[in-house]
Amino acid sequence: MIQARLLFLFLILCCASLLVGARHIAWTQLFALSDALSADAWLTLTASRLPRLAALVLTGVGLSVCGVILQHIVRNKFVEPATSGGLDAAKLGILVSLTVAPAAGTAGKMAFALAFCFAASLLYVALIRRIRFKNTILVPVIGLVYGGVLSAVAEFYAYRNNILQSMQGWLLGDFSRIVQGNYEIIYLILPIVALTYLYAQRFTVLAMGEGMATSLGLNYAGTVALGLMLVAVTVAATVITVGAIPFVGLAIPNLVALRYGDNLGRTLPIVALCGASLLLACDIAGRLLIYPFEVPIGLTAGGVGGLLFLMLIIRGRR
Amino acid sequence: MRRLFKQRTLWLAVFVLALAFLFVGANLDFDYVIPKRLARLAAIVIGGVCVAVSSIVFQTIAGNRILTPAVMGYEAVYLLLQSLLILAMGMHSVVLLGQNGNFVVSIALMLAYSWAIHYWLFRDGKNNVYFLLLLGFVLTMVIGTFTQFIQLRISPGEFAILQGFSQASFNKAQPAQLLTSALLVGAACVAVLKTLPALDVLALGREQAISLGIDYRRMVQLQLALIAVLVAVSTSLLGPTAFTGIFVANTSYALARTARHRVTLPLGCAIAITIFLAAQLLVEHVFNYRTTVGILVNLVCGAYFLALMVRTRGTV
Repeated sequence: MIQARLLFLFLILCCASLLVGARHIAWTQLFALSDALSADAWLTLTASRLPRLAALVLTGVGLSVCGVILQHIVRNKFVEPATSGGLDAAKLGILVSLTVAPAAGTAGKMAFALAFCFAASLLYVALIRRIRFKNTILVPVIGLVYGGVLSAVAEFYAYRNNILQSMQGWLLGDFSRIVQGNYEIIYLILPIVALTYLYAQRFTVLAMGEGMATSLGLNYAGTVALGLMLVAVTVAATVITVGAIPFVGLAIPNLVALRYGDNLGRTLPIVALCGASLLLACDIAGRLLIYPFEVPIGLTAGGVGGLLFLMLIIRGRR
Repeated sequence: MRRLFKQRTLWLAVFVLALAFLFVGANLDFDYVIPKRLARLAAIVIGGVCVAVSSIVFQTIAGNRILTPAVMGYEAVYLLLQSLLILAMGMHSVVLLGQNGNFVVSIALMLAYSWAIHYWLFRDGKNNVYFLLLLGFVLTMVIGTFTQFIQLRISPGEFAILQGFSQASFNKAQPAQLLTSALLVGAACVAVLKTLPALDVLALGREQAISLGIDYRRMVQLQLALIAVLVAVSTSLLGPTAFTGIFVANTSYALARTARHRVTLPLGCAIAITIFLAAQLLVEHVFNYRTTVGILVNLVCGAYFLALMVRTRGTV
């Protein structure tokens, strides 16, 4: 029942996202008698609005699923790519690919971002495992500092190579440059989500801890590596196409878990749907706030997600 | 005795570094190069004192060795206020209020932020350090997004003014601004000096301080006001310094081996100045301006902070 309501909300947001934009298109135009008018409207729809919708939905789904996987691996509710260094590592990877192999194009960037993000996540998980006295709050704090160091390295590198300014450009999540032809890599998120769903039960078991998971017959190290790989692919794909969007992967899974519990097999679709809806809502707000200009989604989603996160940690204390 | 020796070595190091900074490659050019470098040196000294004193006093009030004003979002608030001022009044904010008017407004508002933080977070002293730290980080990020949002709304010419505020660099300090800053920091330091014994007592905690006859509320409010002034000065001179304060404070405790502020505060100042001088020298002579002081210092101090937390395994 509630899921039906969520689905309905999601569909409404999708329609709204298609209709809002600097160029006004009405449904009637699409089926207008005049060929020129209708062709124009269709072009706007297929070349810009539909790709944008697809990218938004996929990013929202991907980021929130990422958050869920990381939270199960680290066994901490406050971890996501932005608070575990993954996002900053992906940025560093793109920087390195831009200077080492500028001709490699999107595939090269993807490979570098993926490798860096995966390595950084592995290191982070290793760091966290060293801390025996597991303070729930300490884990994300270490992640944030770790991310800060990684992004200082990235800045150092970017400044030396004179690309600091262009780095700040794609540092911030922004959907306005998404048009047909330059966003397709985001579809990598689809198989990732499918795989996550397939392995959902294993991730649930993973969250019970290494001893329990192993005694239940799970290949612990293998599953952790798989999870981190899934996260790395998603983060790399989203950073390359839209840029960094912090806190979405953190707020959504927590809000969903507060209500529906922690059985991933059951809650994963809800998490995905909520993540997509949040991004859609933030994007529509961003497009309307200073119409006809746009506020980048990194700001709107980062602000909303950050406030939700603040509420969660303050609520967790009480 | 050994402590005194260490302190002397440190000040000697500061002196040598300062001389090196002034004269290396200057060809004794007293007309242009050396006056310029003197201005930069003044900015470094003022900035170093601000960072060290504000961090150590803040840690005394907060009762731990991890939190600093920078981490708790003070600098982010300062930058937000600057952008708000420019958005509200345009370029006129600089003309209308003057450098000093702008400063006074910012400091008043930062004071409000600082009291609010203290009222909500430190009042009962029961809050976990890491909880406060996480809160500070997230607050800094959220305030940062709002600042960016406001920057989107202002025109490119005004944006250029603003951008000057948001990067750590010693190269932009103007003599007039240096003078105002020096006066402000001097006044703040005199106030801190006068309350040195009270600070030592504050470090014992709220209950002890009250039973030892300190007017706790008034004293904390005074110190928070001083911190607000110092952070505003350092941010306007250097831009955000992030983890530098933690590094400076912790190194100073480690070298001083005592909690007395009479020792730790000067030591902290010396350490901060040394770090900034060393970074500036590296930038000028080794990296040949292909990096900035802010990036370098953030890299070193961030790595130190990470190591500190992993090594102590959350028992700080």
